[in-house]
Amino acid sequence: MKLILSDKPLYIDLQDSDKIKYMDLSSMKIANCVGCFGCWTKTPGCCVIRDDATKVYPLIAKSDSVLYISRLKYGGYDTIMKTMLERAIPIQQAFIRIYKGETHHVQRAVKPKNAIIIPYGDISDEEKEIFKLLVARNSKNMNFDNYRIIFATEKNLYSIVNTVLKKWSE
Amino acid sequence: MERIIILNGSPRAPKSNSLKYAEVFCRYSSVETQYFNIGKNNHGELCSFMENYSNILFVFPLYADALPVGLLNFLKYLEANPTINKPVISILINCGFLEYRQNMVAVEMMKFFCRENGYRVGSILMIGGGEAILETPFKFIVSIKIRQFAKSIISRKYKILHATMPITKKLFKMAASTYWSNYGKKFGISKIEMETMKIEGME
Repeated sequence: MKLILSDKPLYIDLQDSDKIKYMDLSSMKIANCVGCFGCWTKTPGCCVIRDDATKVYPLIAKSDSVLYISRLKYGGYDTIMKTMLERAIPIQQAFIRIYKGETHHVQRAVKPKNAIIIPYGDISDEEKEIFKLLVARNSKNMNFDNYRIIFATEKNLYSIVNTVLKKWSE
Repeated sequence: MERIIILNGSPRAPKSNSLKYAEVFCRYSSVETQYFNIGKNNHGELCSFMENYSNILFVFPLYADALPVGLLNFLKYLEANPTINKPVISILINCGFLEYRQNMVAVEMMKFFCRENGYRVGSILMIGGGEAILETPFKFIVSIKIRQFAKSIISRKYKILHATMPITKKLFKMAASTYWSNYGKKFGISKIEMETMKIEGME
């Protein structure tokens, strides 16, 4: 399965909607993670906050390809995407593994992923470098087998997204 | 005269490890030091307090490899509502992983915010194993570092410091297993239940 998570509505025509799921996070009700560790220690694998995030993180886990589209802020994901990524910790266990020479959380049933990340906005070179470091870190904690970052402006975002989707459908 | 305002960016601020680190800091701070949690609805109030301080200390945990979203939202508010006074910003960050360097991206984000908004960066303390270290015999390592950290801020001789448990990764993994198993037990959840591969009840 392929998954598109976007922090803004995308006007896209999905040819194969059974295989590609699209979630517009901006239209969903997703509260901030409260850091209670309930998804690790009280109801393992399930967030105690029963809002729309509970529909999204199982899809993240099941997907072997993901496309994340987010405005960039201070070199990281802006609020909408970051809120969702924080709420995705039920797909990990509290327990620790040693992965690529570092300590990381054990993943539950999370498929290894090919990830394409499209950060957009008026992005400086400095922010780009910070974001590259961030996604390199994410790759270890979010089970990315490989990843590609495509920086976009507001103006060329849709054409970049459509190019990616065209390749996905080939 | 130095005055320090501590702002806790942890989502579970009143029960957070960040609060415990802030408390240790307060013990070692020889100047007036006030502590506040960053909430959803107190951004304006905190920004107005900032006018009266020479230093801000942000204490927070690493969340999804970066700043917790509550802190991110506060920084965005501060950017949109700049204060006249620009205190020096120091950072105390902790992550649950053994390697303190996993905090570095979040530190770079903070430094970027400071550069963009005209704040000087003060001292930085990165803590690894931060979820549990205060409950281990290695608590003294963090205490010493926080003391040095406080001293560096007050003397304006800013430093980059770090602390973690002096154990192997393998031992850390075992210790984390015991720590979390005991955490689950408090709620009647066994280790095997915590290790479920199911997400929302599905394989």
